Amino acid sequence: MKPGKIRLGRYTTIVIFGLIIALPLLYLLSGSLMSYKDIVQYPPRLLPSSPQWDNFVQAFNYLTPQTIGNSFVFVGGVLLIQLAICLPAGFALSKIPFRWTTIIFALFLIPLFMPTNLILIPTYIVTFKLGLIGTFFGMILPVAGQASIGVLLFRQFFASLPDGLIEAARIDGANWWQVFTQIALPLARPIIAAYSVITFLTAWNLYIWPLLSGPGTATRVLTVALAPLAGGKFSSISPSISFAAAVISMLPVLIVFIVFQKWFTKGVAGSGLE
Amino acid sequence: MKTRTRYSKLDALTAWSFLTPALVLFILFIVIPTVAGIVLSFFSWNFFNEPKFVGLNNFAKLFDDPSAWSSLGVTMEFIVLGVVPTTIIGFMLAVLISANMPAVGVIRVLYFIPVVLSVAVSGVLWVFLYDPRQGPIAAAFRAFGIQIPNLLQTQSTAVPALVVMMVWLALPIVIILYLAALQRVPDDIYAAAALDGAGAWRTLWSMTWPNVLPTTLIVAVLQVINFASSSLDVSLIMTNGGPLNASRSLGLYSYQEAFTHQDVGYASVLSVLQLVVIVAIVVVGRVVTSRSSK
Repeated sequence: MKPGKIRLGRYTTIVIFGLIIALPLLYLLSGSLMSYKDIVQYPPRLLPSSPQWDNFVQAFNYLTPQTIGNSFVFVGGVLLIQLAICLPAGFALSKIPFRWTTIIFALFLIPLFMPTNLILIPTYIVTFKLGLIGTFFGMILPVAGQASIGVLLFRQFFASLPDGLIEAARIDGANWWQVFTQIALPLARPIIAAYSVITFLTAWNLYIWPLLSGPGTATRVLTVALAPLAGGKFSSISPSISFAAAVISMLPVLIVFIVFQKWFTKGVAGSGLE
Repeated sequence: MKTRTRYSKLDALTAWSFLTPALVLFILFIVIPTVAGIVLSFFSWNFFNEPKFVGLNNFAKLFDDPSAWSSLGVTMEFIVLGVVPTTIIGFMLAVLISANMPAVGVIRVLYFIPVVLSVAVSGVLWVFLYDPRQGPIAAAFRAFGIQIPNLLQTQSTAVPALVVMMVWLALPIVIILYLAALQRVPDDIYAAAALDGAGAWRTLWSMTWPNVLPTTLIVAVLQVINFASSSLDVSLIMTNGGPLNASRSLGLYSYQEAFTHQDVGYASVLSVLQLVVIVAIVVVGRVVTSRSSK
C-alpha cells in the first residue's frame, strides 16, 4: 500500500541489525584509542574522551614490527604457492584429455570435508621429519598443500571455458603451456582475485599451525604474538593496549577485505560447493 | 591411429607435469598425515623413541578414560549450541539484506565485517567484553542490578559464552552463501505467495526456506565441521580448556595429549574419534533431512 514507508522500515531494520553485528568490532576500534580510565569506566562509554594514539606505540611492546613482516612472508608464501600449484592442476583436470583425471580429482576432493585440525599432529610429525620445524618453509608448505578447494574452484572455472576456444589455439599449433598461460590464465583473472582474497584472509588468521611450526621470534606471526593477550597471560596490560595490538594485527586483512569485498563474496559463493 | 596414440602420450605427459607440484604437496602434507594419523593410533610413541606397536591398547584406554567422554560431550556441546543458531540467524539476516534497494550493498559490509577477525583478535575483544568487573556486558547487567560471574571461567557458561562469539564469527560466510542461494530463487513464487495473501513471516518459512534447502544442507555440514574444529583454536586461546576442563573439546584434549604429554598414539585415537563423530553427525543429518523432506 505504502511502498515508501515499507522501504524506509526495511532500511532501518537493515541498518540496525548491521550495526548490532558490527558493534563489537566498532567497539574494538574505538576502545583501542581509549585511555585506561575511559575503557573501564562505568557506565561503559562508546567513544574515547580523547584519542590515545600512544596505545599503538605501546602495543608494539607485544607485537614487534618483525611479526608483521613475518605474517606477510607467511601469507605471501602460502598464496603464491597455492596459485602456482592449483591453477595448473585445475587446468589439467578440466582441459587436457588424460586417463587419470577422475581418480586424481577424486583424490583432491576427499579431504574437502575434513577439518585440518584432525591431522595437526601427523602433519607436525611429517614437517619435523623433513627438518622444517622452525622455518618459514615448514610453516608455509603444509598450508599450501591444502589444495582441495583451490583445485576444485579453478577446475570448475576452466571447465566453463568453451572447448572451441582451446581447440582453435591447439590447431594453430599452440602447446598446452601456451594455451594455459596465454588464453586460460588471462580469462581466469576474476576467479584468481576471488581465491586470493579468501586465501589471504584465511592464512593471515591461522593460529595453531604457525604456533606449532614456527613459534620462535624469527618466524613468529601476528596471531601467535597476540594470542597471549587474549588468554589473560599479561593481566597487568591495559585492555585498550590489547585492543590496539588486536587492531594492528587485523588492519591488513581489514583493508584487503574492504577493498576486495566483491571478490571475496563472489569467491565464497562460488566455492559454495554446488 | 599411430600418431593419435603418440599425441595423447604427450598430452598425458603434459597433464602429469601440470599436476605434479600440487600432487607432491598434497600427498606430503594431506594424504600421508591422514594415513599416519590412523596408523599411529595403533602405536605407542612419544615423538622420540622408536614407535611401538600396541594393537588396540590405545582404543581400549579410551573406554576407561572419563576425560575422553567428557571432552566428547564438550565437542557435542559446541556443535549442538552453535550449528542451528548460526544457520537460522544467517538465513534470516540474508533474507533481510537480500532486498534489492539502493545502497544496501554498502550496508551489507557491516554484516560481512566479522569475517576479517582471527580467533586471536576476536579473543582479545571478547575476553574483555565478558570481563565481570570492567566489561560492557557485565555493566549492562549491573544496570538492572544483576551481578554476573566471569562467564568464561564458570563451568556451566564457558562453552555457551565461547559459542556466542563463534556464531558471530561464522555468520558472514553463512550470510554470503544464503545470499547467493536467494538470488537463484525465482521471483514469481513470491508474487504467487503475495496473491495468496501470505504474510511476510509465512512466505519466509513456507516459500523461501524450502527453496534454499540445498544450501542449508551445505551450510549445516560446514558449520558442524567449523564448530567441532575451531573449538580447538578458541578454547586454546581464550580458556585453555578451563575451568576444570569444562571447555576442553576432543580437539584440545588430543592436542594436549600430543604436545603436553607426548602421547602420540592416544592423541591419534582421540583425533580418529573426532572424525567418527563428525562423519556420524553429517550422515545422520543427511538421512534425517532427506526423510523429512519426502
